[in-house]
Amino acid sequence: MANTLDVRGEICPYPMMRTVTALKKLSSADRALEVVTDHAPALETIPTQAARLGFSTEIHEAGASEWRLVLTRMDAEGGS
Amino acid sequence: MAEAAARSLPVQGRTSTARSSTYAVIAWSLAALIYAATHRVDTQFAMYWAFGLGFGFVLQRARFCFASAFRDLFLLGHGRNMKGVLVGLGVASIGFGLVMSRQVPMTFLGILPPSANVLPLGVHTALGGVLFGVGMVLAGGCVSGSIYRMGEGYVASWVAFAGLMAGLLASAYSWNWWWEHTIASAPRYWLPSWLGHPGAVVVTLIALAAVYVGVLAMEHRAGVVVPRQPRTEEPADSVWAELAGVGRRVFVDGWAIVPAGAVLGGLNVLLFTAQEPWGFTGEVSRWAVATASLVNLAPPPFEGVANLPGCVFVPADGTFFNHMLFLVVGMWFGSFAGALGAGEFKVRIPRQRARYAQSLGGGVLMGYGAGLAMGCTIGAFFSGIPSLALNGWVFAIFLGGGAWIGTQLIQRIQ
Repeated sequence: MANTLDVRGEICPYPMMRTVTALKKLSSADRALEVVTDHAPALETIPTQAARLGFSTEIHEAGASEWRLVLTRMDAEGGS
Repeated sequence: MAEAAARSLPVQGRTSTARSSTYAVIAWSLAALIYAATHRVDTQFAMYWAFGLGFGFVLQRARFCFASAFRDLFLLGHGRNMKGVLVGLGVASIGFGLVMSRQVPMTFLGILPPSANVLPLGVHTALGGVLFGVGMVLAGGCVSGSIYRMGEGYVASWVAFAGLMAGLLASAYSWNWWWEHTIASAPRYWLPSWLGHPGAVVVTLIALAAVYVGVLAMEHRAGVVVPRQPRTEEPADSVWAELAGVGRRVFVDGWAIVPAGAVLGGLNVLLFTAQEPWGFTGEVSRWAVATASLVNLAPPPFEGVANLPGCVFVPADGTFFNHMLFLVVGMWFGSFAGALGAGEFKVRIPRQRARYAQSLGGGVLMGYGAGLAMGCTIGAFFSGIPSLALNGWVFAIFLGGGAWIGTQLIQRIQ
């Protein structure tokens, strides 16, 4: 995936805040952003903020206490 | 559209490997051995160790964080943690009310319950709350949050704890000044002296419910909140499968916040029934003062602390072990064992240097504030409001104000 944001080692609320900044900077041609985090509370805050910016979230386990979140622009999937 | 996104969120799956179960069994066996060993020396040590393990385990399993309870309301309009805190306060207020009604049946005589956190209320309460609120948001966790994150392997939280000890020491040097200028003459207000026990409990519960409604309103104003999806349960076809499901929900899956808040409130009532309300910054200050004494930098003797409840400074008595030490270390160990069992322990090292400064500085502010307010989010707040004490509410309001300032600050240091 082209756009990856690695926020491992970051503590609340920075994984979420840096994701929001990255989503806002995403050019309209980019459909998705991948975020790697090891901070479990971010699994609730990132999907919420992503949804408010029009992105859906898929969470994948990437290892022990590490997750890969794929945020996809919702209009890219026809609003689903 | 946003609601559709919430529904399409895939179900969380977390695999607990056999290795993490083995580590957890070893950790809990060690905890049991320490319990048995301390029980032979002093039964109080063992009891506080067990309470510490329980508090730490629940904090870790639910990721129960007082800093985010306040911060996420301001930053996100997200009320998950605050809802848990409010439920915990409600449970504890009822339990504390019952215990105190046995301790002080006649409330109109001006007698205060001996061990409840009814503390002198004054400008130090407000200033302590603001400093603590700013500090906990900067550090990414309050004292209890830092302790459970230390158990999960967050290096930044160890740095915050070091800052906390430094801040408590600074507060210890200035305690006598504050004592002479405001604390000694500050009144202690206990709601049952005006409202009686049932009245004070009812008024407290109504106030908590009103705050809960306010939290819901903030969430609705902010827009959609995507909750973490629970794991889908397969129907259990045997008692063993049923038990395995229970074990997984307790030890592996994250706990929901409301039951966790109720359990923490209940544990606090049990500890109060057995001895005193939950709180531990007094103990952490003892470590800070003892460390300073090693290099002959001990603060002067503390005035007035002998007759104060809560987490006031503890006069040095030259001993190393103390029942409270087992509570604090037990919280760290309970979180560590909980994180191991869920496969959530990982050494997490921040890459930006600024984060270390932030954690240290936040810790110092929290330490100074907790010294002034005679407690942290636990002693002055989570045990203060259930003590049906006005100081609990005043601390909470200024804590919220400090957290708001902290939230403005962290958005400028990305």
